[in-house]
Amino acid sequence: MTEKTIPTLNFKEKAEELLPEGASFEACLTCGLCSSGCPASGIENMDPRKFIRMAMLGMDKELSTSKWIWACTQCKRCQHVCPMSIDISQLVFLARSNWPREKKPAGIVRSCQLIQSTDSTSAMGLPPEDFVFVVQDVLEEVREQQPKFKNMQAPMDKKGAHFFVNQNSREPMSEPDEMVPLWKIFDIVGANWTYSSKAWAAENFCMFSGNEEAWREVIKKRVDAVNELGCEVWLNTECGHSYYTMWNGINRFGMKADFKLESLVTYYARWIREGKLPVNSDWNRKNITFTVQDPCMIVRKAYGESIAEDMRFVTKSLVGEENFIDMQPNRSANYCCGGGGGFLQAGMTEHRRTYGKRKFDQIAATGASYVLTPCHNCHSQIEDIGHHYRGSYGVVHFWTLICLSLGILGENERTYLGPDLLECI
Amino acid sequence: MCMSEEDRHFSAELAVIGTGLAGFAASIFALKRNIKTAQVGNTGAVAYTTGYLDLLGSLAPDYLASIEDPWQGIEQLRDSHPRHPLCRIPKDDIFTAFEQFTSFLGKCGIAYTPPGEFNVSGLTPAGTLKPTLCVPATMQVGSAAFSQKEPCVIIDFKGLKGFSSRQVVANLKDRWPKLSSKRVEFPDMVSGEIYPEVMARSLEVPATREKLAKILASAAGDVKVIGLPAILGMHAPDLVREELEQLTGLQIFEIPTMPPSVPGIRLREMFEQLFPQKGVTLIPQQKVDRLVFIENGAQLSLNDSFGPISIHAKSVILATGRFLSGGLKAGVDGVSEPLLKLPVTQPDSRREWYREKYTDRRGHAVNSAGIEVDSSFRPLDNHGRPYSKNLFAAGVILAHQDWIRGRCGAGVAIATAYKAVEEVEKLLK
Repeated sequence: MTEKTIPTLNFKEKAEELLPEGASFEACLTCGLCSSGCPASGIENMDPRKFIRMAMLGMDKELSTSKWIWACTQCKRCQHVCPMSIDISQLVFLARSNWPREKKPAGIVRSCQLIQSTDSTSAMGLPPEDFVFVVQDVLEEVREQQPKFKNMQAPMDKKGAHFFVNQNSREPMSEPDEMVPLWKIFDIVGANWTYSSKAWAAENFCMFSGNEEAWREVIKKRVDAVNELGCEVWLNTECGHSYYTMWNGINRFGMKADFKLESLVTYYARWIREGKLPVNSDWNRKNITFTVQDPCMIVRKAYGESIAEDMRFVTKSLVGEENFIDMQPNRSANYCCGGGGGFLQAGMTEHRRTYGKRKFDQIAATGASYVLTPCHNCHSQIEDIGHHYRGSYGVVHFWTLICLSLGILGENERTYLGPDLLECI
Repeated sequence: MCMSEEDRHFSAELAVIGTGLAGFAASIFALKRNIKTAQVGNTGAVAYTTGYLDLLGSLAPDYLASIEDPWQGIEQLRDSHPRHPLCRIPKDDIFTAFEQFTSFLGKCGIAYTPPGEFNVSGLTPAGTLKPTLCVPATMQVGSAAFSQKEPCVIIDFKGLKGFSSRQVVANLKDRWPKLSSKRVEFPDMVSGEIYPEVMARSLEVPATREKLAKILASAAGDVKVIGLPAILGMHAPDLVREELEQLTGLQIFEIPTMPPSVPGIRLREMFEQLFPQKGVTLIPQQKVDRLVFIENGAQLSLNDSFGPISIHAKSVILATGRFLSGGLKAGVDGVSEPLLKLPVTQPDSRREWYREKYTDRRGHAVNSAGIEVDSSFRPLDNHGRPYSKNLFAAGVILAHQDWIRGRCGAGVAIATAYKAVEEVEKLLK
């Protein structure tokens, strides 16, 4: 069998098809703000400005085969800082789509295949019946062992529930106890919620693999599942790209969705403001310091400032205003951590850590002991670069800290707490 | 799109359109006067600034020598170019505008020298001198060292483009004999091209400062003053400089680099972070699609990726800049103002836009094109009447100035924004 080669794309022609009327990649002033602000600059001897220039010069063969497209996380920071608002990530997506499947990073392709392999749409291939079993099993254990939650529910396929809650597969698959703090929060605020046995999973590597058809199929399954249960809100839990792929996908593929897409962060903030989630920072007697990582997928690429503000409000409520240190830059100007775009699955560890150095420096500059982030990829990447560059910080989910503050964090739910936080319980 | 979503509405006393220097200055002055403000604009060109805030550095029509006294320069302009925007604002107001603007920046973490009676000489990456009224504190030592002709080493970094210490020295050596150059390696940067922005952020980490301090101390040798490209931190530049001075025992200053230059990114990031905290409704990265004037105010419409946004404002300041930012548009039929179709004062035909030589010191007629305003800085319509009593304009969209040749970009932006906000306040009362 002959090995497949990567076809050559005509980038300039494609760019003209993609852009709205009047916009042009030729508007690029070559100022370099994009490259200057991109953590992937220099990897594989490429950067965003070079990419655009090469496209405009017709260097299609070189671009079509550049491995850099797998190091670009499509975080759109280049567009954010560009005075002409040029969107390079669109070309990167095209380039990814253009690679034959055999040539693409196997980890991303495999994750997409697993998503397609069951009705769960889980990138770890966890089938619906296993998900239902794990949820039930963990719930029973909590009810038995934590008397305060002996009546707690984790509804499955409940028609007409207000919230359709998604779940990153990592929890039911590898760390099921991490689901419990979330359930406790729903229990305390009295949320009318449900899981679905179908299309419950959050992650979507099909978009990252550049497989548009598969991306569409996944979104279709998820939209159908929410419509079927008649929920008003698809509630995205602490996972960044699941939100973006769903929101962007619904628009891109013109699907009919009878519900709103919302992020859990918005609800944390709302429930705290409404007094339904009575958290405070009294537990933080030792003034342990925290910073937050703004996931690109829900901040810069989606909600923008409003969710960034909610995240800070929640953090300050949890840890005390004086113990919160913002990263610089932050909010929509924040850097991608390097865990996005499928980078964690792409098997390019050295490049990924080079990319992540910028994030590591940002965190180091805050001097904070912990990073809070509502995104699994951010979480994993920030942990990894912390070990690699010998940082001393920890990474925690919001749900963990909320339950810690409320004094309801069970013993099995403390995986991400360092000794200092454990002492605060 | 069938997904449920909500339209977003905001209301404000003042809507500032534009997020360049004039737009940000307008919001600062509005904050000072407790005017409820919303500001909209795409990324704009703030990130390209050197950080220097010039008032007036060179005089029309020939723009020959740099001028030392910008205030006297404005007096001269009043005779020769009375329609220049700076001539329409009293000196005391221009001075106050610069004072308020620089003190705001200082309070927000980027210290500047206050406005004085004379221009100072700012150093440029080309080794030339730029006459400017205020300089960031991180650059102040450079201007002083130049005027004293102190022994000094300009240091650049391997892999950094857009700043060459040899170039700086080559062009200044005649006037600054004890100036020399050195090239060093920045700590922990992988090989290849490195950017000032990346170095600046890396210097916010104490460990990087310690490593760089050793390198700098060794490069300086016996010399006590060193100049670096502008890389001394992003959001706490004064602290980074102070610490490096303590660690090295040297006096350290910055010189702006070619764009994208750190001082511009510092300003933009600071505005974007602080304005919302101070109560300004800031919608960056978006352009206004439509602006219509209704009774007692205006309605702004725009769209972001989530759908429509509308803003109702009692007054509007148009600070949309020139060609780069989209405030003016150049077409085959001439220069136009795209948002309101305001008439644009311009040469009669395209053939008169440019002189024969691009580098002609006298500049080009198209660069003085722009919109007309009345004495209250209200843009005029085709009949020479104010377009609306609720509309004002500020910045380099105004006609009768060539900010590049005149070295007066910040001056026009800050002074006219001050004046426009003053007029807005009168209107609101």
